Amino acid sequence: MDLLSNLSLAFSVIFQPNNLLFCFIGCVIGTLIGVLPGIGPVATISLLLPSTFHMSPVSAIIMLAGIYYGAMYGGSTTSILVNIPGESASVVTCLDGYQMARQGRAGPALGISAFGSFIAGTVATILIMLVAPPLAMIALKFGPPEYFSLMFLGLTLLIYLASGSMIKALMMACVGIFLGTIGTDTISGIERFTYRSYTLMDGIGLIPVIMGLFGISEVLLNIDEASKQEIYKTRISNLLPTLRDWKDSIVSILRGTFLGFFLGILPGGGATIASFGAYAVEKRFSKHPEKFGSGAIEGVAGPESANNAASQASFIPLLTLGIPANVVMAILLGALMIYNIKPGPLLIKNHPDLFWGVVGSMYIGNAMLLILNVPLIGVWVKILKIPYPILFPLILLFCLIGVYSVNNSIVEIVIMIIFGIVGYLMKKFRYEAAPLILAFVLSPLLENALRQSLLMSHGSFSIFFTRPISLIQMVVAILLLALPLIPGFKKRPKAEEID
Amino acid sequence: MRRYDQMSSLVWLAFSIYICIASSRLSFGSFDHPGPGFLPLLVGIFLGMFSIIAFLQAYLSKVVDETTSSWYPKERWKKLIGVLTVMFAYAFCLEILGFLLTTFLLLIFLFRYGMEPKRWVVAIGASGIASLSSYAVFELWLRTQLPRGIFGF
Repeated sequence: MDLLSNLSLAFSVIFQPNNLLFCFIGCVIGTLIGVLPGIGPVATISLLLPSTFHMSPVSAIIMLAGIYYGAMYGGSTTSILVNIPGESASVVTCLDGYQMARQGRAGPALGISAFGSFIAGTVATILIMLVAPPLAMIALKFGPPEYFSLMFLGLTLLIYLASGSMIKALMMACVGIFLGTIGTDTISGIERFTYRSYTLMDGIGLIPVIMGLFGISEVLLNIDEASKQEIYKTRISNLLPTLRDWKDSIVSILRGTFLGFFLGILPGGGATIASFGAYAVEKRFSKHPEKFGSGAIEGVAGPESANNAASQASFIPLLTLGIPANVVMAILLGALMIYNIKPGPLLIKNHPDLFWGVVGSMYIGNAMLLILNVPLIGVWVKILKIPYPILFPLILLFCLIGVYSVNNSIVEIVIMIIFGIVGYLMKKFRYEAAPLILAFVLSPLLENALRQSLLMSHGSFSIFFTRPISLIQMVVAILLLALPLIPGFKKRPKAEEID
Repeated sequence: MRRYDQMSSLVWLAFSIYICIASSRLSFGSFDHPGPGFLPLLVGIFLGMFSIIAFLQAYLSKVVDETTSSWYPKERWKKLIGVLTVMFAYAFCLEILGFLLTTFLLLIFLFRYGMEPKRWVVAIGASGIASLSSYAVFELWLRTQLPRGIFGF
């Protein structure tokens, strides 16, 4: 009965005309930036964040969520037609998707990825409805030690899954935590590392840091690595997969959905990891693994379903525990705080319209995206032809206006440019920005939880190992950190970036 | 990458030393009453340790360096530094010259001297359209208060 009343609340929120409009805008923008290589959901959400301050928080989160899962739909288009992933979660789609396009089967590849994404998105939304409220009830029992160990686990998982060197990822997490401590200490009221700068008193802003590290650095990198892309000239026809295509891929879609959902909930997981995981699983389960890489439809259906399920599932830890599972969720956490909404176990109770509105928007958003990506595919293919030299000045302009409009501060523009240079150098020297951002966002929460825990235990770190939930989380985290030290254990190849 | 890993880990080591020195000026408190310097100092120490490990890993690595003499051609440096300079200049001039004029000049530079030089007509036309439409969206529609500068627009 509860479920039905929640569902009716969800639909009453999403069917308000303005929410419907912002859901649509989010889906369109998401597909657009998914299609365009060189700009991903992280950069776009941070770009648009300042402009959402004029909206209601519900509409804003609905739109930003639409951008995130919309990008998962759009990303596959570029992977299949151009062999360049539109964003990192579609990297594996290139392997079989592009081969299908070369064989004249671009239509079924695009079709199955859109339908797979739709099925995964809808199933994930139903699972969110079932899983999130009980999880929030459990989370109510969390004290500072449990929160600390959960955040520690989240960071550790992200570090473990880092594509490159684990030690570099650990370094980036340390830098992120340090950056998060800049500003006035909330417990003692003492200023830290501010050097009497008025701007730094409130801490370094999240938006200039993210826009610098993801937006500006990406543009700087593209300036010297301008790729000449060619769209595979194939007639896109027969978007509706045949009965045989469905038979080949329906199990892959379902497997991808559940795997993606599970990996999406885990802190530190996310759509990229989910798509790589799904590809590996499909190849292992396939009767013809040798066909993978030469146009197997399962190799498109599985990962594309998984990345969609994961992108939606990653809302669960944010909305029930207040812990972001990946960088996009970290930005949304920052956004919620700016809107004066405290994410955590009480969010569903205190702001039911926000939680159920987002759930409702996922149902409607997935249906909108199916329409946007199947009958209107031609429009997106045309957009692929916009050359980057025309696009990059506009991206830079959006970054500059976006950052300025948050606090009308020139200093924040300068901070953004500096972080742009830092992000560019990090990419050149192969340091990942994802652990830094997650640690930066979590830093104040982590510090408070750590200090409160130590106050509770009179200075003993054993508090993290004597409470059952905290103990489990700490043991898993320590195991993850210790695994690479075991002789003979080799880290698996990892996704390029955790979105 | 080996040499660059050594270089970058030394930079992070220097940064960690800065964190430790700066946070030692704040109160560390005690384990049962951690002060504002507690976490930063801890993080500084860990960053230092990891930087040393990263340096040693790179130093002891047997991987032969790829040819890195032309890591970055001079031509590209010019473009990159050019773009960064105009962005800093944009930040500096924004409140003096106002949003419209500064944005117009920035875009002309980016279209004309950015990645692929565009013809003057294209650069001026595209910059005009982009700056006016962004003004319309942000100032008129979203009511963001963009700086007006000495000319009043």
